[in-house]
Amino acid sequence: MKMMKYIFMTLAVLLIATPAFAQEAANASAKGMLYIGAGIGMALAAGLCGLAQGKATASAAEALARNPGARPGIFTFLILGLAFIESLALFTFVIIFIKLA
Amino acid sequence: MPEQLVFTRILNHAFSAPADAVLRALHVNIADPAAPMSNAFAMELLVTVVLLVYFVVVRISLSVEKPNAVQHTAEYVHEFVSEQGESIIGHGFERFTGYLSVLVLFILVMNLIGLVPGLESPTSNVVVPLGLALVTFFYYHYEGIRSNGAGYIKQFLGPVWWLSPLLFVIEVISHCARVLSLTVRLYANMFAGDLVTLAFFSLIPIGVPLVFLGLHLVVSLVQAYVFMLLATIYLSLAVSHEH
Repeated sequence: MKMMKYIFMTLAVLLIATPAFAQEAANASAKGMLYIGAGIGMALAAGLCGLAQGKATASAAEALARNPGARPGIFTFLILGLAFIESLALFTFVIIFIKLA
Repeated sequence: MPEQLVFTRILNHAFSAPADAVLRALHVNIADPAAPMSNAFAMELLVTVVLLVYFVVVRISLSVEKPNAVQHTAEYVHEFVSEQGESIIGHGFERFTGYLSVLVLFILVMNLIGLVPGLESPTSNVVVPLGLALVTFFYYHYEGIRSNGAGYIKQFLGPVWWLSPLLFVIEVISHCARVLSLTVRLYANMFAGDLVTLAFFSLIPIGVPLVFLGLHLVVSLVQAYVFMLLATIYLSLAVSHEH
């Protein structure tokens, strides 16, 4: 288990390091790395954003089940929180778009 | 030159000379004198005209005995915004209802107009949300200074005097970050919505993109609401009397 962790960590470091090596390689290869990096970055952002939003929504649903009278207040804060969490993924999206365009 | 919508082309055909003159007077460099107006600007103009006509119709057909559908919509919007303002700002929210109502209606119509074929959302161009965010930024600072006077600076200085140089810098950065986050949230949501629909349209051209159009519709509503909600919260923070 610990071994696997180290292997993946090394792989991750290598993955970050490859664009540096790709500098002298052909331009097309660097572009390919850019696409891979963009995909991984967006996947990480989307996945973690989903996790966080799920947590927020679960708590809101729990709170609503306990106290249905507090619906307006909870709703406002839920939407607000979701918007803030989502904007982090959107920042990633915009950065990726700027880098790829 | 980017592709022009039909409406933009008509506007550029009719008004390119006066628009060029205005831009030259402001010393703005014009990329293409034959087409000084972008799609986003043309769409914004269209939305403004639509909203103006709507407000005029509401004002003309105002009636206590027999309220018609248009009046009901206007009353619903006003009630919705007032409710939000009362629960967040509390006492004295009436002053901001006008600005907040116009903000939510303007953003909502701009978001939804992208769903009409042949038109596009101006909010999916980064300049338009930036303008809205900047207007909101200056407006809430103006209201803060107006209601707190010179004491408004205390909100930037924190509770203890010896930390204030540090906190002032942090507060200024956080206020600028508000503009950034307001802009990018609205822009990226609308832009990504269009992009996702297009991507699925290129994969499966029948049926499936409709689901994402539906999602885009919901996102349009929620983002207009969120923008208004955040403007309300910033206003409530600016006008609050702490000391």
